[in-house]
Amino acid sequence: MRRLLTRPETLVPAVSLVVVVAIFICAPPVTGADLTRFDVYNALQGFAPLGLLTLGLGITMIAGEFDLSVVGTYALGGMVAVETGQSSALLGVAAAVAVGAAIGAIQGGLIAKLKIPSLPVTLATYIALLGLTSALSGGLSKTYTNPGATFWVDKTVVTVFSPRSLITLAAFVAAALVLGLTKIGRELRAIGGDRRASRVAGVRVDRNLVGLFTVSGTLAALAGALLSYSYASANPDPGLQPLVLAVVAALLGGVSLTGGRGLPFGLLAGALSVALLAQVAAITSLPDYATQLLYAGLLVVVLGIDAPGLRQAIDRLLARSRARTSLLADASNQAGSVSDGTTGLS
Amino acid sequence: MTGSVNTEPKSVARAAISDLSRSFAGIPAVRDVSFEVQAGEIHAICGHNGAGKSTVVKMLSGQLAPDSGEIRIDGAPVELHSRQTAQRLGVALVDQELSVVPALTVLDNMLLGDLAAPVINRRRGAVARCREVLDDIGLDHIQPGQPLSSLSIGERQLVEVARALNQNARLVILDEPTATLSDRESQRVFAGVRRVVARGCSVVYVSHRLSEVLELCDTVTVLRDGMLIATTPAKELTVDQLIRQMLGEAPRRLAAARAPDSNPTHALRIESLHVPDRLDDFTLTAQAGRIYALAGQLGSGTTDVLRALVGLHPQATGRVELRDRAVPFRDPVRATAAGIAFVSNDRKSEGLFLGATVAANLIATRLPTLGRAGVISGRRARQAARTLAELSGLGDRRVAEPVLALSGGNQQKVFVGRCLGRDDVFALLLDEPTRGVDVGGRAAIHQLLRDAADAGMIVLFSSTELDELLELGDVIIPMRAGRVVGRYEGGVDGAVLLRDMTHGEDAA
Amino acid sequence: MTTENDHRSDAAHSGPAPLPSSGQVGGPTAPGTRRTGATEPAHGSSSLRVGQIGLLEVIIAAVVVAVVITGATTSRFFSLDNARAILASAATVGITAVGATLIMIVGSAVSLAIAQTATVAAMVFLSTQQLGLGVAIVLAVLAGLGLTAVQGAAVGYWSANPIVLTIASGFAVGGLATWISGGSTIYPKVKAYSSLNATPLGVPVAVYVLAGVALVAQWVLRRTTAGRQMYLIGENSAAARAAGLPVGRVTAVAWALFGVCIAVSGIFLASFNMSATSSLSGTLTLDATAAVLVGGTAIAGGKGSALRTLCGVVLIALISDLLLLRGFSTGQQLLVKGILVLFVVIVVHLSSSRGRR
Repeated sequence: MRRLLTRPETLVPAVSLVVVVAIFICAPPVTGADLTRFDVYNALQGFAPLGLLTLGLGITMIAGEFDLSVVGTYALGGMVAVETGQSSALLGVAAAVAVGAAIGAIQGGLIAKLKIPSLPVTLATYIALLGLTSALSGGLSKTYTNPGATFWVDKTVVTVFSPRSLITLAAFVAAALVLGLTKIGRELRAIGGDRRASRVAGVRVDRNLVGLFTVSGTLAALAGALLSYSYASANPDPGLQPLVLAVVAALLGGVSLTGGRGLPFGLLAGALSVALLAQVAAITSLPDYATQLLYAGLLVVVLGIDAPGLRQAIDRLLARSRARTSLLADASNQAGSVSDGTTGLS
Repeated sequence: MTGSVNTEPKSVARAAISDLSRSFAGIPAVRDVSFEVQAGEIHAICGHNGAGKSTVVKMLSGQLAPDSGEIRIDGAPVELHSRQTAQRLGVALVDQELSVVPALTVLDNMLLGDLAAPVINRRRGAVARCREVLDDIGLDHIQPGQPLSSLSIGERQLVEVARALNQNARLVILDEPTATLSDRESQRVFAGVRRVVARGCSVVYVSHRLSEVLELCDTVTVLRDGMLIATTPAKELTVDQLIRQMLGEAPRRLAAARAPDSNPTHALRIESLHVPDRLDDFTLTAQAGRIYALAGQLGSGTTDVLRALVGLHPQATGRVELRDRAVPFRDPVRATAAGIAFVSNDRKSEGLFLGATVAANLIATRLPTLGRAGVISGRRARQAARTLAELSGLGDRRVAEPVLALSGGNQQKVFVGRCLGRDDVFALLLDEPTRGVDVGGRAAIHQLLRDAADAGMIVLFSSTELDELLELGDVIIPMRAGRVVGRYEGGVDGAVLLRDMTHGEDAA
Repeated sequence: MTTENDHRSDAAHSGPAPLPSSGQVGGPTAPGTRRTGATEPAHGSSSLRVGQIGLLEVIIAAVVVAVVITGATTSRFFSLDNARAILASAATVGITAVGATLIMIVGSAVSLAIAQTATVAAMVFLSTQQLGLGVAIVLAVLAGLGLTAVQGAAVGYWSANPIVLTIASGFAVGGLATWISGGSTIYPKVKAYSSLNATPLGVPVAVYVLAGVALVAQWVLRRTTAGRQMYLIGENSAAARAAGLPVGRVTAVAWALFGVCIAVSGIFLASFNMSATSSLSGTLTLDATAAVLVGGTAIAGGKGSALRTLCGVVLIALISDLLLLRGFSTGQQLLVKGILVLFVVIVVHLSSSRGRR
């Protein structure tokens, strides 16, 4: 149990979640607002799309990659779902998910086979997908006229949940099961931890990469589809915000920047933390800039922990202070035998 | 003491290598090498640099295809296309570049890449098997659930061996396993190896630590110049005999005492240089005009001396003075500014800028001198590049070529040449100055260094090659396990030097 | 003594995450050569060499030809008005893109905080109009420079991850923008900026500035110590460090110049819009990054040039304008842009990997 708590991939999300929940419970009364079950519901509604994005992005980060295009797939998924799901909501979701999977598979293939780093590929795909989404809708939001589905995705279940948030939770549970109970989990972490060693050890890196991006595309598209049902419209340009929040959530979820570390339940905690924080900001009418500065601060802390150069600088400082103290000790000893060619034979 | 030999009657050797040969670009690296490894045997392969050891190891582990010859595993001829193929056929390699992943747990690492592993983990069974294998090789204090990053290097090596065993390896090749280990760790590795062979697995043990080899191994195969010299039971050999097999005619250096620079202030004074776990209390005064050679194998600390001097070991402590001025050696920028130039042993990833031309590489470290106020004069840049190209023996017709297109020897000339011809570089540190360089290139580089020393440069290099040490070094300082073990200024017998580098009572 | 081939180990792709981290050239390096001066560094040229002409150049030439042909069959394309329109729209993005080229060359890949930084510079500019045009410009530039130089120092000295760092900065700077503006629009009290909106010879001032900035940046990259060191550091930061090159300082300088460019773009945006809100700079981040990538600068660092980026900017503007004149929607233009970026990125990567040992 103790080991569980000392590993960063469990410690960081645990601490984040505990701190945020504390803030969630304490802050509103302090500012005079009331904390209701509706607020929890709202927070979980915010969590619903964010969680899926975080999960998708998070697993690519565990493997040492970075899927910038999740927001593009998110927007496209929403648009496809609205276009094709006017009469049958299920069909819309299926179409969106299929598109997301296809896009992910293509990207995964490019990254694996051509050995291109994921950043430029996913950046380019992001731009293209935004364009595609906008082209599909003529640049405008597209309305979704299926009130049945719109109502259903957001109806309250057990007071604070909704089908959307439950689907997200189910995705996390599925991911935890798959990564925890099958060899895929360790292979992903191996690929992220040391790709060369994994290949030598016999891991099928390429296959894993393709599967990985396919899953992240699928999850992003699903998130977008459900969200557009909820809003009864598909927005062709959600901006970079969803991506940025997903990155924050993933980092708070214990994922390392260089890969090899991370757990689905950690990502869950990270996404919940960000969703709760957003809700707290809304409840307490925290000014925009304060929330932004808060996120900035959190990221800086995470960065500081992970920056290798910082550790080296600290090493140097420690070495210098050690040298200084030993120099003082030497001076008081009056050792004095400076070498002129003799070697330090023991 | 010899290790125990499995005494079951064996008709078929675990591994039989017949007439294995391999050349690179027409130059033979391995010629008609044949030997056998029995089941349960610890079989050492020894040889000095360039003897062909690593080529044989690469062929045996599936990384290189032999030009001719045959490899048989348990009597059946095999074609080893890749490391993965070799692993499937029961041959596993554990070398300096560990292929275990620090981010994973011990158990995860043991199961990694196992094609026989089911998709859905059978946790209980896997943990039990893992426990069994770990106990078998003596790692009883390690839990399967531990992160690998919490283990020492020696323990990680053993985990990699355990992984091989878990995947039913029949032959494990260990390439310099104790090079960077402490004595205690080395003993742990030995114990592990003995238990591995007690299970019936065979071990091929490649090492330069000759006393260890004789202590641990059953048989010793010696290679020299790509050919097999002898395969002898270890109990019939002494260290000196082994060295004689490795060297043949022991090279000797005649004393050609070079007078140091008349100016005693032109010296690099190193006092009590210390790098935790790697280098212990190194002290030396290197004078201009002479070439100092640090002689030591992998893990002896020779590389660490040089790297520490130029700021690549941030935790180094000690005192360094160059020309009577203290050198802030913990920071590469300041150490270089103080007049120290460093040529690392890996020109590809830590030396040259492979995407650039020869010219760009040659002037890379002297850009501020090519103009005024940060602006570079194109004419002076071209001039400097041409001059350096001439100086380094490349000829100025090659300056516009991409450095990637050059041979290893010429690339090294660019790397070394970059440090020459400057009046603000006083000490030149080189780690393996002719690694991966052919004979002609090596002679040229040695001449470059000799000329530099004659011109007043302080030259300090480290090497594992006897010929180079004897040819180039005016003062030879053998090192082992992070400490200096001798100093030679006159003539020295190659065999004696090799002995210093590879054998001795290491401190407990 | 015999020599042995170095064994080809797997490219150091051990967990590169969003960025080729220091020491690991997790991306392409190219054995490019330029047949101009004998000792001219090869940076800025691409590589898959067929004779002396690179594959990338061939493709770009083909695209340009296609554009010209299509343009010839499109009404209003080859008109002066149209040319002006193309250049004007490209200018603001282009100025930032030139700066973004510097940080990409030095190995920092991308910054996701561009739009916010430009907005802050714009706000500073408009808020200080009453101090005179010159002073307002200087203050805005200092604001941009200050914000990015700090990030550059973190990346250069401490090897901080630029993606996460710029996301964090984006938050911080965005928060700063909201705080400065109090959440509302900033209107300038005095219109000192109006001269920036002039069109001497019918071409907006911004275009002249773009040309100037590109030339200066190109000069810095080729003819100054810092510029050449940027290429070296981006190409192989481990080698640069071992050689004693001032990695931290040069990286910070690259980022500082980047900040200057962003600020200038912000100033022009402010002048065009005559007001500033938090959303002023809109899509500047992605537009500028796309322009740099289309120009053929490698995201892994060590290669590229300001002139290439200028070509990228112009090419994107040409194509967008062409599509617009032919009736394609903004979305479709965006789609084409995305595919173009993807295409160039792949070609750049492939052509440099071929040369790798």
